[in-house]
Amino acid sequence: MRPLFEWAHRFLHLGLLRCASLLVPRQQRGEWRREWRGELWHVRQACAPVGSGSRQGEREVTAFCLGAFQDALCLRRAGRLPQPPFAAMEGTARQCVLILAAALAASYALALLLPGVRAERSQWPRKVNPNLVLIEQAAASDYARPTIAPEQFRAWKARKQKYFDGFAFYRVTRETVETESLTSGTDSRTAWVVGRASSNLFSLLGLPVRFAEAGAGAGDGLPEVILSESVWKRKFGADARVAGMVVRIGIRAARVAGVAPDGSLSLPGSVDAWLLEPDASKGVGGAGYVIAHLTPAGRAQMWAPCVRITANAPDDAEDDLLGVALEEWRSTPGTLYRFAMFLALLALPAITSVSLGESSLNPGKTSWSQRLHRWSFLGAKIALLLPIIYFVSLDMAFGWTTLDREHAAYIQLVSTFGLCLFGLRWVLKDQRQRCPVCVRRVAHPAHVGQASRTFLDWNGTEMMCMGGHTLLHVPSLPTSWFSSQRWLYLDTSWGFLFAGSSQHIP
Amino acid sequence: MAREPRLPETKLSHTAALILQALDAGFVYGFSIMEMTGLPSGTVYPAMRRLERDELILSRWERQSIADAEQRPARKYYKLTAAGKVTLEASRRRYPLLERLIPTGEVKTV
Repeated sequence: MRPLFEWAHRFLHLGLLRCASLLVPRQQRGEWRREWRGELWHVRQACAPVGSGSRQGEREVTAFCLGAFQDALCLRRAGRLPQPPFAAMEGTARQCVLILAAALAASYALALLLPGVRAERSQWPRKVNPNLVLIEQAAASDYARPTIAPEQFRAWKARKQKYFDGFAFYRVTRETVETESLTSGTDSRTAWVVGRASSNLFSLLGLPVRFAEAGAGAGDGLPEVILSESVWKRKFGADARVAGMVVRIGIRAARVAGVAPDGSLSLPGSVDAWLLEPDASKGVGGAGYVIAHLTPAGRAQMWAPCVRITANAPDDAEDDLLGVALEEWRSTPGTLYRFAMFLALLALPAITSVSLGESSLNPGKTSWSQRLHRWSFLGAKIALLLPIIYFVSLDMAFGWTTLDREHAAYIQLVSTFGLCLFGLRWVLKDQRQRCPVCVRRVAHPAHVGQASRTFLDWNGTEMMCMGGHTLLHVPSLPTSWFSSQRWLYLDTSWGFLFAGSSQHIP
Repeated sequence: MAREPRLPETKLSHTAALILQALDAGFVYGFSIMEMTGLPSGTVYPAMRRLERDELILSRWERQSIADAEQRPARKYYKLTAAGKVTLEASRRRYPLLERLIPTGEVKTV
């Protein structure tokens, strides 16, 4: 009977421990069960050794096993204590990449939402027609002053031309424009510089006109007006609903047929809106500007940016004219971004060391896969950082619809340069503080020694990899024998100190 | 390179101080601590886990070969860390009876 009694208790105790272990979180279950079973053997030896048949002893062993339930419940209560979110990811490469990816998504989303940035992005890439010239009187001293009379333009247009295959005329007037607010619906009257232009002006220039489809004539016979980008942003807050709206220019009503990009071709006149009229060159007086498109023969004659042209005036006298090549000068945000990034790369060595600080105090123990992982992480950080800088600089430069293009370009240049410079500095500094084995940030900095007391001894900061792989020593005062940071690879005997983090290599 | 450990003093409960004192006295296994202190298993093991989490004690599994030679399961043993010793000193000042309950060096092996 006695062995049966003992075996029954033994099964009971093992069953109790197994049941108790089910209450323990899965990750720790095996460890706890192993410890309880190890201890159970000793409890049994002390209280109810084999063959003793002591009921009191068995009760004590049972009490020990029931205590395992208290252990498990206590462990569960501790497990329910609030943990800082993502505590397990603290300092890991994955956490860094996720944060950068979130920043990229946020900056891109902001760029999609801001109307100024949306408007800017919709205009790239674009190409204007090449071989355009602005024709003006040679005697004119001021490039911006209109010099061509409408009747002169009409005479050229009527004749067959050898060097030009297209003409457009515009003249600039200052007029009161009555507009309706898109948000409040109230009318306002302001003075704009209006360019009264031939209806073929934009097709001759090849400039893209935004919202051209939405603003196409509704068969009401109203002339079309193309707003400049700066007026569209300043006056209408870059609102796309402007297309199709009727405005009153002077005494004439006109329909907004689109928005033209600013800064293009440096057309003289600083026009706020273009009123396209088939009869723009009708009438006498009121000099304007003429833009012409060169034929292949004309291109051959255009040997310099500015050439002299002799033309017959309507009264058959000879006019001495000047043909000035019109070039697209507007820089795209992409060009500015690349230029600023190049400047930042040049300036980077001036503010930080470009070394990755991989020297070690003992022979390196990293495998090629660990080195590949480290380099991949560096590449991922840079690959995520650069588009973040691009979108953030766009948001900063073009998010404010009240800014003109020149100021926006300046803001983009400066912000890209600053963000690139300090962003890349952060990338390198962060990389230098990543354990070469697990690419986790070292932590728990401890300052060792004081320069004033340990003049000939090492003093600096020691940091530790939380995976237990390495120690990082950063000297406070670089010396000839310890000029830069060094890694100390820890052997496996340190492993048991880091049981929680286990020498895990992600 | 030599450094003086500058560790903060942690205030312990009487139970935790008792366990540290038992460990310092040489009772390095869970059951031996229970026997020495009279604390139940549902108190001792969670308390030791907390002490381990707070880096006052370290645990290590016994080598399997030793356990196999004695035909029993391997057991886990514990020892005080440097921080644990500092904390225990502070606890002794706080609980003067601690050393009388479990005199240091009473048992070295269990």
